Amino acid sequence: MNSTDNNARTEQMEIDASAKWPVLVFFGSAILWLIAGGALQLIASIQLHTPSFLAGCAWTTYGRVAPAAQNALIYGWGMNAAFAFGLWLMARLSATTLRHGGWLFVAAKFWNIGVTLGLLGILGRFSTSFELLEMPRFVTLILLAGYAMIGVWAVTTFSIRNTENVYASQWYLFGAAFWFPWLYAIAQIMLLKAPVRGVLQPVVNAWYVHGLYGLWFIPVALAAAYYFLPKILGKPIANYYLAALAFWWLVGTTAFAGGSRLIGAPVPVWISTLGAVANFLLVVPVVVIALNLFGTLSGRYSALQSSITLRFIFVSILGFVLASAFNLALSMRGFAQVVQFTLMTDLRDWLIFYACFSTAMFGAAYFILPRLTGKEWRSTILVKTHFFTTALGVVLLTAGLAAAGWQQGHLLNDATVPFGDITKVLTFWFTFRSIGLIVLLIGHLAFLINFVWIACPLNSRGTPLASFHQPPDLSLPNPAKAATEGHA
Amino acid sequence: MKNGLALFLGAFVILALSWAGLLLTAHQQLGSLSQYKDPTDDVLYPQPLSGVADQGRLVYQDLGCVSCHTQQVRHEGFGSDIERKWGLRGSYARDYIRDNTVFIGQSRLGPDLRNTGSLELHPYADAEYFYKLLYAPHSVAPGTNMPAYTFLFDVHPLAGRQPSDKAISLPGKYAPGAGYEVVPTLRARALVAYLMSLKDPFDYPTERNLNAAAAPAKEGAH
Ligand code: HEC
Repeated sequence: MNSTDNNARTEQMEIDASAKWPVLVFFGSAILWLIAGGALQLIASIQLHTPSFLAGCAWTTYGRVAPAAQNALIYGWGMNAAFAFGLWLMARLSATTLRHGGWLFVAAKFWNIGVTLGLLGILGRFSTSFELLEMPRFVTLILLAGYAMIGVWAVTTFSIRNTENVYASQWYLFGAAFWFPWLYAIAQIMLLKAPVRGVLQPVVNAWYVHGLYGLWFIPVALAAAYYFLPKILGKPIANYYLAALAFWWLVGTTAFAGGSRLIGAPVPVWISTLGAVANFLLVVPVVVIALNLFGTLSGRYSALQSSITLRFIFVSILGFVLASAFNLALSMRGFAQVVQFTLMTDLRDWLIFYACFSTAMFGAAYFILPRLTGKEWRSTILVKTHFFTTALGVVLLTAGLAAAGWQQGHLLNDATVPFGDITKVLTFWFTFRSIGLIVLLIGHLAFLINFVWIACPLNSRGTPLASFHQPPDLSLPNPAKAATEGHA
Repeated sequence: MKNGLALFLGAFVILALSWAGLLLTAHQQLGSLSQYKDPTDDVLYPQPLSGVADQGRLVYQDLGCVSCHTQQVRHEGFGSDIERKWGLRGSYARDYIRDNTVFIGQSRLGPDLRNTGSLELHPYADAEYFYKLLYAPHSVAPGTNMPAYTFLFDVHPLAGRQPSDKAISLPGKYAPGAGYEVVPTLRARALVAYLMSLKDPFDYPTERNLNAAAAPAKEGAH
């Protein structure tokens, strides 16, 4: 027993060693983008309550800074972090080392240069104004080339796997890796290369945006939850046999839910109706996934105390459930009539991207990096600060933006209220949002400092070496074992 | 699930179905919408944008006005867009076939602009008004958070020259001071031409009938 455990451990260490540099490079780029995007986001937010801030220069006008911030966060932080986590987990779950890792550096270069050029393009007058596709057309090929190298690598790792079962996290990762390039390429072709006419453009745009959130960011976050819960708690996923059903149901309906973003828009009604129906059907897989994940946690909540990864994953699962509820609410006509076009719409996407996805990546980083570098996180205070500010920021912004959107929607629908009065009311909420973003930014800076200490060979000299406790940390039955139960 | 192939096929089928079901079907339905000829005056609607206005569309696009402004009027009974004078009627898909890029938007930090160029709805909204709004938003909308687009204007010293006939007049506090004039650049002029072109004056009988049929159902759903 002990010797097989030891074998499994050496194997894991080998895999981790092979993944070390690519993962560090992707995580490092991700964190830098997180800070840069957060700073841009803060500038945009400040401009809404203090419009003279950095006004008067075309490069920093609100209409460019806001999309630039969004793109930096989504394609800079979000994608890089997902690459880092996804590559590492794919290698571990496929029980194979990462081969030809050098290509991944090239891929990372391509991707990050593409994002940088894209942002400069947005700030320097080449924005396309299509949501999440604002980057000018010429970066598309750079991004797709970068992605191709990463995606091919992920698929190759998956196909040379040394395991018999394919675990839930792998379904989600594989699906996401497959869907993103198609969504992106199709949207690029239909919107920029050979643009479709009229309101088909917003339809394609909504399809892409919804796909990016629902078929890329959510699956990656769920892959993390399905992996880390059993791994850290040392017990299989509760009711695992339902997980496959939930997976297919979730992704199959999400793919049709994009139209729900177009309620009341000048497009045929069936588009938003189909979206609303899809969002209704999504209740089932969301409940099943919640049963899987909370069921695994039940009775073991005390473990949250000792594992920072678990705590972040816990927030991520809550974020997932909340975001799904929001999506459903926003696709109902009565509710949409009030809160459509308000800050509540921002909140829906922010919940998916930040509360669900980003927190999962934080959790993953806290687990992965010590294992790759063999070092401890140097400052526990900074780790705690990061978690505390994230949790606080999520609560503040969720409550604040929900209340703000509700109020804004009612004022907009009361035609007797002049527009200037609405702006006046919102000024308070814009200020509130700036404060929330500052709170988050503090946490991100804490994360960055700790990351530099653990990852940078020069700076990490004073950092203590990591020692991993045996159970329940590393000697865990690999989750594939849990998988067998579901597939007897 | 043991089979990688099943996973791959499943993922592929889901995406293909969603693309075909949503985008292709919508394309079938909307891709061939054409202008409508008004039998009374023999004019085709929606009327195409002028060349300058279409350049202004590019300015609107690169400055990201869409982050604060929608361009879609919701129909009577769904929100109060009509009461707010954002349109004479709700927007139809056909209205947008003249736009090379469609900015229906999803955020209303500012008012809807689909009919901002309609003097019937907003008698004050002439070129002068738009220039003032862009150069010094507070001069026409006190307390607003719409950013100033001063970089779309040149501020010249007059230095004894004839004032430019394009110069805009600004109320005292916002004026650049004696001996200076504010002249919109080409980009500003294109943008204002675009804003003034934003109106959907014609109500298509085909769409109106569809709408009339749909309205009672909406009422019932309330
Ligand atoms: C930060 C958000 C924001 C951005 C960006 C923005 N606006 Fe505005 N805009 C507003 C607000 C708020 C108002 C309402 C002013 C008021 O009446 O109080 C407004 C009003 C307007 C109006 C007047 C509408 C009317 O019926 O009186 C026009 C026209 C307009 N904006 C055009 C533009 C253009 C063109 C751009 C891009 C160059 C732009 N806006 C960018 C927030 C914004």
